[in-house]
Amino acid sequence: MRARLLSFALVAGAAAVATAAPQAERPPDPAARALQREVAQMRRERELSAGKGFYLRLDAARQRLGLMLQGVTLDDYAATGLELGVPEVLFFDRRPRADWDLEPTSKGRLEPERQRDRVEIVAPTPASVAARPAEGASPEPPPAAKSAEEAYSVPSPYRVVFGEGVSLEVRSRGEGRRNRTLLRRVVDAAGLRLADLGSALGLGSKDRIRLRVMLEAEDAASLYRSLPPDVGLIVVGLKPR
Amino acid sequence: MSDGTPPPAGERAEGLAKLRAALGALVARLRPAWSRPRVRVASAVLFLVALALAGTGWDFEPVPPGDAAPAAAAPAASREAKRLAAERERLQAALRRRVPRGPWIVIDQTHNRLRLMRGEETVLEAPCSAGSGMVLKEGAHGRVWVFDTPRGRFEVLSKTEKPVWKKPDWAFVEEGEPIPKDPGDRLEYGSLGEYALYFGNGYMIHGTLYERLLGRPVSHGCIRLGREPLRVVYRAAPLGTPVYIY
Repeated sequence: MRARLLSFALVAGAAAVATAAPQAERPPDPAARALQREVAQMRRERELSAGKGFYLRLDAARQRLGLMLQGVTLDDYAATGLELGVPEVLFFDRRPRADWDLEPTSKGRLEPERQRDRVEIVAPTPASVAARPAEGASPEPPPAAKSAEEAYSVPSPYRVVFGEGVSLEVRSRGEGRRNRTLLRRVVDAAGLRLADLGSALGLGSKDRIRLRVMLEAEDAASLYRSLPPDVGLIVVGLKPR
Repeated sequence: MSDGTPPPAGERAEGLAKLRAALGALVARLRPAWSRPRVRVASAVLFLVALALAGTGWDFEPVPPGDAAPAAAAPAASREAKRLAAERERLQAALRRRVPRGPWIVIDQTHNRLRLMRGEETVLEAPCSAGSGMVLKEGAHGRVWVFDTPRGRFEVLSKTEKPVWKKPDWAFVEEGEPIPKDPGDRLEYGSLGEYALYFGNGYMIHGTLYERLLGRPVSHGCIRLGREPLRVVYRAAPLGTPVYIY
């Protein structure tokens, strides 16, 4: 009987410790909880800024998207709208974990992929002296490469898909939004819809959270053309949902 | 051709009657098919699939501006909150320290723009020329060079007035010239402009003979800058100045 009581007391004690442990991690004070969350985000940002990789910083409160490197803002875009999306299957959405924005997000890649049209030159055979410009004459300029505007057309929308199930969808608005042919736009839109269906059903892409950012057409194009590979992401100022 | 005026009432009634007749004919044609169980089942399946597709995808909700965590600005009440507030201050200071206090250089190689910064302030913005991205091939089976400007954070490692360019192999290959054996034959005077700021791996910020091409990606990987902005950058950027290229 005493042994049973002892074991019961031990089990009850263990249960009490187990239930008390999470309370110790999450402070009961709402202000402290919010601070804890903010501190966790800032720690994450400090980690990113100590690394060598580029990252995007989405400030949900100020609605700004910045391209960062080691804590320095290299480029900054004002968002005209921000939406948070979750996958929905048969009208039932799948809610993410409340602290998804505290997780590291890395290896961002563009979708559709940016394809650079490189100019290839095969070196000429040694030219004769007579064919070269005379001494003192101004040399011929090298063949001009395509500018960014000429080299890349920009889809709208496009996405930056991160390895951890988070993606950033960039939509453009304003002048210059439609810089692709109608056929190309239709094909892109159909492709995106199919990809949406697949990702919502958990096929192929493993997106669980999608942040939709609306940028001016010029900014959206600029970001698409200049986004470095394997970019990271940090989202700050987002209220837990 | 219509001139925008509505058709008379008689014509409208006639048109409606035609439409009604056409719909009636369509229904009459479909009615025998609808009586078949297979068609009914297929229609029901199609309807359900369409419904499922309509309800499958992504559900978005707007995030309004200023929708930040409310307690961020609230005074810290509990002991835990005070500790966290102190840590937040420390982290904020650490993040602020990441921004260089002195001069720093940002190069946007997509738009070929260079910015000279001091703290948060832009001191100078000028067009530059970054790497062309061209690929040079030495014959069919020879060496290959890609003229890209590297991305990342660099530092000004050395500065030179009246720099002399020690031409690498690709410069001769590109011109169709034989590669000289005497190192002295590699030296070229004047083509890098008045100043050069070396930031590693053979890359520099320097002047150019082709100022009219500034703003376009035409270099072999270095950053070309116009005469006046180069003077300003050279004077303002001491050794160790961070150079951020993206």
